[in-house]
Amino acid sequence: MKATTRRSFILALLVGIGLAFLLPIRRSQAQTSADAPWITGAIFDSQNQPVEGAKISLIEGEQTLAEGLSQADGRYSLPVPNQIPATLTLHIERAHFGGVSIEVPAEEMQNLRIGEAIVIADTILERHISPAFWIATSIFILVLALIATGFLHNTLAALVGVVVLYLVSYLGHPFYKELYIFDFARSLLYIDWNVIFLIMGMMIVIAVVEHSGIFQWLAFFAYRTSGGRMWLLLPILMLITGIASAFLDNVTTMLLMTPITVQIAISTGINPLALLIPEVMASNVIGVSTLVGTPTNILIGSYGDISFNDFLQNLTPGVLMAFVGLVVYCALIYRKDLAVARSASDDLMKKLAERGQITDPENLKKAGWVGAGMLLMFIFGEQIHLLPAVTALIGATALMVWIRPNIEKMIEAVDWTTLVFFISLFIVVGAIQEVGLISIIAGLIGRLVGSSLMLAMLSVTWIGAILSMVIANIPFTAAMLPVVGFLTATVPGAESKALFFCLSVGSAMGGNGSLIGASANMVTAGIAEGAGYPISYTYFLKKGLPALLITVGLANIWLLIRFL
Amino acid sequence: MSGIVCAIRGGPASQPTIEKAITVAAENEIPLFFLYVINLQFLTRTSISRTNALVEELHEMGEFILSAAQAQAQARGVSAEGVIRDGQVLDEIIQLCQEVEADYVVLGQPKNQKDQNVFTHERLSAFGQRIEQESGAKVVLAEGKSE
Repeated sequence: MKATTRRSFILALLVGIGLAFLLPIRRSQAQTSADAPWITGAIFDSQNQPVEGAKISLIEGEQTLAEGLSQADGRYSLPVPNQIPATLTLHIERAHFGGVSIEVPAEEMQNLRIGEAIVIADTILERHISPAFWIATSIFILVLALIATGFLHNTLAALVGVVVLYLVSYLGHPFYKELYIFDFARSLLYIDWNVIFLIMGMMIVIAVVEHSGIFQWLAFFAYRTSGGRMWLLLPILMLITGIASAFLDNVTTMLLMTPITVQIAISTGINPLALLIPEVMASNVIGVSTLVGTPTNILIGSYGDISFNDFLQNLTPGVLMAFVGLVVYCALIYRKDLAVARSASDDLMKKLAERGQITDPENLKKAGWVGAGMLLMFIFGEQIHLLPAVTALIGATALMVWIRPNIEKMIEAVDWTTLVFFISLFIVVGAIQEVGLISIIAGLIGRLVGSSLMLAMLSVTWIGAILSMVIANIPFTAAMLPVVGFLTATVPGAESKALFFCLSVGSAMGGNGSLIGASANMVTAGIAEGAGYPISYTYFLKKGLPALLITVGLANIWLLIRFL
Repeated sequence: MSGIVCAIRGGPASQPTIEKAITVAAENEIPLFFLYVINLQFLTRTSISRTNALVEELHEMGEFILSAAQAQAQARGVSAEGVIRDGQVLDEIIQLCQEVEADYVVLGQPKNQKDQNVFTHERLSAFGQRIEQESGAKVVLAEGKSE
């Protein structure tokens, strides 16, 4: 291409792009002026929740004069043409809702003519149950089933769900309008990036800590402190595991505690399950006390705008009550197993001592300082509206700058599979929100509890606990959040966010009820089986169900005392 | 080279297998190889893929379990080596058999279907045939222990 031709082509392209931007503005200017009156209003669903993304068209006869979309708070504003026609109609439509047409009242038309803005009364859109509703609901159930049965890896199951949602929306919609669920852009709005970045930041910090040998040292320290007395070793190990779980994720804690615990148990001649089951239960219980202790708390904290301090203040006493109950229960059910303990032989003691060493003291010290700084930022950061995700990223980056690890290894340490799982899950849960399933469930629970906060608290806690036994608690919690958000807005007294804390207790402590109730249970069982001590579903259920009743019951009593 | 390969997991269910392997090794006066296989299959039920730390921990635990079995063999005058591998149990047994040109493979046999064992009777039988075909080692079954 010659230089002059190329210049002409670029000029034409630029003019074309400029015109493309200018034309709509010119058209708009031809119809309305800057001081044109506005029509404003708000759109809500039948549960008084704002409806975002509704398309509002201002119509005169067959002609559309202006269009706009409702915002997150349900509000909309439309400019009115300078030439006010005799009648105006607002047409409001949104996918998964029935459409509404509103004629602007005569007196309001008069106000428009004298240049005054008018406010249309709040519009209520009724949900419309379309085939898309059933498809999105089926996909959600399918994903839960795939996860529960282990037929597909959790992440793959959630990804399959996302892809099917898009396929139905994009391929089905052109042929049958009612198959539309949401588009790509809309689906991304459901992803909670605060959660994703918080988890990612914590993973980097954990990656440094997990190679330091701190868990092995702590477990051996517990053994030495107890002097081989199992009645003392059991609560110490449970406490260590629990406290670690409050600041790191439960899975990492159990992944590091289980092998050394198995070795201590074998060395002392007891069944390792007598220590492992109490440990994993303590991990599930005490992890509830902080924002970063469980993935479910991270979800709840972000959605409900609940700070690190809020979790500590509102949950710690209840968690301590539950923990004491759990220790007593575990000491009772495993008393015979623990009674047969013997002193470890010199050989095995030597091996245990070798294992119980801090392997990377330098980095552990640095991680300790950074961890302390992060803790302070989690606690005091809310004064300056510092999001936990930002704190986690600052901590992770500071640690990496300080210890200068192999950056590729550190990035590898981020469990991308888990992050993709969360992102996919947000989209799948977003789909059932979009089509109205969550709204229907919220309405049913709302009718069940009426205006009783106590009934609402009991329902959320125990429904959460029981369902977390049978379905993975992360998708369950993600799906329950909008329901709890609705109840918080409608049940008198629930503005204290009591119901979010109930969900936290139910979904996390409910994981103690069954082997599949929490990922930490599955990891513990997998490692224990590798050591020749399998944990069957029935075994876990027998030990776990009473533990669930005790711990959830005690924590629930605390929450009722605190919030009623 | 020749020897006996015995895959173990630790725990009471592995005891009869360990005992049998030591007995066969003592009778034939050939080296004994205890094999511990790290298998992360259980992680498919979770969303975890970050396995470095876990593999390290399982290696440590495997060494501990192997050293207990080795001590047991030593107490009966049999020298035993511990081998740790990552992968599928069945494939790793065959692999080790081929490497050490094993004469025997000692496998745990479940006494009843309730026994917690890697193999069911049917799988054990099929697997035994596969080992004999692929490695030439003779399969010896150790009676499982009722729990």
